[in-house]
Order: sequence, then structure tokens, then C-alpha cells
Amino acid sequence: MGVSFRESQHGTVRGQRARMRAVSDLERRLAAYLAPRLPGARKVEVSGLDRIHGGASRETSRFVLRYEQDGARVERRLILRRDPPGSLIETDRRVEFAAYRAFHGSAVPVPEPLWLEEDPGPLDYPFFIMEELTGFQSSLPALLAPPYLEHRAKIGLRKWTILGEIAKSDPEKLGLVGLLAPVAPHECWQRELAHWERVLDEDELEPQPVIRAVIRWLRRQPPPPAQKLSVVHADYRTGNFLFDEAGEIRAILDWEMAHLGDPLEDLAWGINAVWQWSRDGLSGSLLPKAEAIRIWEAASGLVAEPRALLWWELFSCVKGQGIWVSGGREYQTGANHDPVLCMSSWMMGNSQDRAALALLGHLP
Amino acid sequence: MKPEPAHALERVLQALLVEIAPAVRPAYRQASVTVHAMVLAAIREEIDRAAARRVEENRALRTLFADAAPSVADAALRERLRAAAASADASLLVPELDAANHALRALLVELHAHVEEQRGDDARRIEAAIWRELAASTERRKLALGPC
Repeated sequence: MGVSFRESQHGTVRGQRARMRAVSDLERRLAAYLAPRLPGARKVEVSGLDRIHGGASRETSRFVLRYEQDGARVERRLILRRDPPGSLIETDRRVEFAAYRAFHGSAVPVPEPLWLEEDPGPLDYPFFIMEELTGFQSSLPALLAPPYLEHRAKIGLRKWTILGEIAKSDPEKLGLVGLLAPVAPHECWQRELAHWERVLDEDELEPQPVIRAVIRWLRRQPPPPAQKLSVVHADYRTGNFLFDEAGEIRAILDWEMAHLGDPLEDLAWGINAVWQWSRDGLSGSLLPKAEAIRIWEAASGLVAEPRALLWWELFSCVKGQGIWVSGGREYQTGANHDPVLCMSSWMMGNSQDRAALALLGHLP
Repeated sequence: MKPEPAHALERVLQALLVEIAPAVRPAYRQASVTVHAMVLAAIREEIDRAAARRVEENRALRTLFADAAPSVADAALRERLRAAAASADASLLVPELDAANHALRALLVELHAHVEEQRGDDARRIEAAIWRELAASTERRKLALGPC
């Protein structure tokens, strides 16, 4: 026999209580972890732990840290990024933390990174903690509605200007050369293409004839060597930065795939058609593609040579499909039940094929 | 089945979005309910066309293989193309149509790679037909919620 409605309600209440106990336990363990890392602090408390939807590669939660220090009460709003059992993208938390640390206080706005813990002991999985920047938006629905809608051009100007700053920066001066895998300028494309082709080989649940054709196209006509080796954010798109009501970008987020490489990789990813949620032809739902490229060139001092950029745009379709396919496998195998993975595999996978076909002139 | 499954899905979807999601806390779980509703919206879009688009695509691929086979230089590939062209869907059950579709699409990848390396008008004609089919297959799978 099935479970009665009353029993089902009790089950729901029990489930809520269990979740509350789990949250409370995590808050207690977080406080125990932080207390010895706050010299002179007393009465260290953690409360308000609240998971944030999104961040498909890590479980992201906000929380409030309170303690007493030198007779004063201190309150900080912080973000916990914890490795999940399965994720959309397999990434290195050390790289992400290092990228935040490298750019903090520079022309590239990022939250302040605070603690990195790679031992799973304290919170069951590795994690890092950074400051929470409050009162800002990152979502597409918010961007496409007042009061942000009228600032899209300004946000676009800032978006591609900041990307130009990232491209222009010196990875060695940022202290990232030892942390990010080295690559020669003429090998950037090979390394990235080989990586994402391997992801497709390992994770595809069904044949991908469009993307396989794109991979062969990319191998037949490789791009010129990178103009310079840059830090590549690798997921620089609308949705991965915080913006305010005046159209200013307040933080660039989600550096988990950062690496050294060709700066055109980031530009091409950001103008990929799959980020045109506004359906008005604007790259990243913000600006015309040509305008985005012009702003990036002016800010970076680099050139987006059309043939090289086309190569990286097509590559971004391979990479995108790699991400959607891996998410689909995670969902299918039960490694991760986040419905975003299922939806991405169906919807974004199809849009990614369409984007590739359009770039090659094969979409009617 | 009456009421139609698609209608029932539509109702569940509306209930999730309009009645249930707004009442769910915390925000993380509310967003999760909304994304689950999007999954249902995609299933709602697929359910009516599921068998039809697979039958149409499998037929188009077999026709393409039959047309291409005589021009394929590789004898082993030519025979596999002929065998695939002569095959038929065993039933209209979606898992069986999918199994056939995956086999046909895997063969399409091989044919495409092969003709790209061939010279001559026949190779270019087959290549153009493959790109047309790839564009058509992408259209068949299109979801209304997609960004492009």
C-alpha cells in the first residue's frame, strides 16, 4: 500500500527536521574550523547557512560569521564553496582559490578569498571560503528586467573591458605561473582541443556528429600561435559576474576552470551564441558581437584576428558540448541529481550544435 | 490515454511553477523546483514528437547512406552503409528507435570523416547532404526554451 497523505506530511516534516539538523551540524563544524584561524577571536559563531542555487561545479552556500575581538562584535558575511560528490565540471579548487587571490585588489574585481581547506576532514569534502558581496545580481532574468535592463550596454562595456584586463595581465606577476600548468603559445589550441575531445570520448551518451565534424575542422586548420600567454578565466560569460543597479560589474566569479592559454579562448567563449538568452542577437545578451570585440581589443591591446577568432569560437562549441555531455552523464548515472545537468544536456546541447552549424554557415 | 499525457504534464508543470515553487523554502529548493519544472516542459515538448522525429531521422539517414554508398571508395564502409540503408526500425518503441538512431548516427560520423578526405564532385555532394541532414537533425531536437 502507498503512504497516506498524513504519513507523507509527517515524512516531509521529518525530512525538513533532518535537513535542519544537517545545516546546524555544518554550522557548528564551520565555527570549530574557523575559531583557531581567527587569532584573538572569542565566541565564534556561524549561522544562516543557506545554499545558493547554481555553481554547478561546487556546492555554494552563504553564511554569517560572528565573533568578539578586542571587545568589539564582528560580523562577516561569507561564502562557502564545497566540493560536491559529482559536478558539471571537474575542477581544481586550488586553482580557483589562487585566481581569486591573484586578482583581488586589481582592475579585475573579485571577492576576497580567505581560507582554502583541501583536507576533507573538517566538512566532509574539500572547500574554500571567501567574502560575500551582497546586494548585487548575477542572474539573466534580473539582467533582462528593470532596473538593470537599461544598463545592458554599460554592463557590456565593463564586461569586455574587464576581460581585456584579464587578457592583458601578466600571469608571472600575478604569481600564477607555478600554479597553472605551463603551455607554449603554439600549443594552447592543441592542449585545449585534446582535453575537450577526451571529455566527449569518455562522457558522451550518444553520437555527436555535429561536434565531431567541428573537431575535424579544427584539426585541419589550426589557429596561429597565441599572441601572448594569458590567464584564461575559461567560463567568462554573462551569469558569472555580479552587477549593480548602476550597471557596474562588482565581481567576476567562478574561476574554477582558469588556466594559462590563448586569450582569444575567453573572448570566443563569451560571445558564443548559447549565451544570447535575450534572443536579440546581442552577445552575452549585452552588446553586438562586433562591439564586444572592439572593446576587448581596446582594453587588452591585443588583436582578435577574424580567422583565429573563428577557430576559437568553434572550439568553444566543442568545449560547451563537452560540458553539457558530461553533465548529462552525471545525471544519467545518478552521480548528481541536479536537474540543471539534465536540462543543460538536452537544451544547451542542442543550442550548442546550432551555434556551431551557424558559425560554419550550415544553418539555414 | 485520456486525459492526454501531454495535457497532464502541462498541468503538473503549471502547478509546480505557479502553486508549489512560490511556497517552497529555502530559496535553493525553490530554484530546484523551478528547474525540475523546466525539465517537465522539455519532456512536454518532446512527448508528442518523440517517435515521429526518430522515425523521420532514421529514414533520412538510411536514404542518405543508400545514396552515398556507391560513391564510397572504402569497401568495408560501403558494405556497412548498404547494410544500414537496408535495415528497418524493429518497432516504434522509443528506446528501440533510439538504439537504431545511435547506430546510424555513429555510422554518419564515419561517413562524414571519410568523404571529407575524398576528392571529386560526388564527395562534395555527399558532404553537402550530410550537413543538410545535420542541420535538419538539430531542428528536430530543438527545444523552445533554448537560447538559440
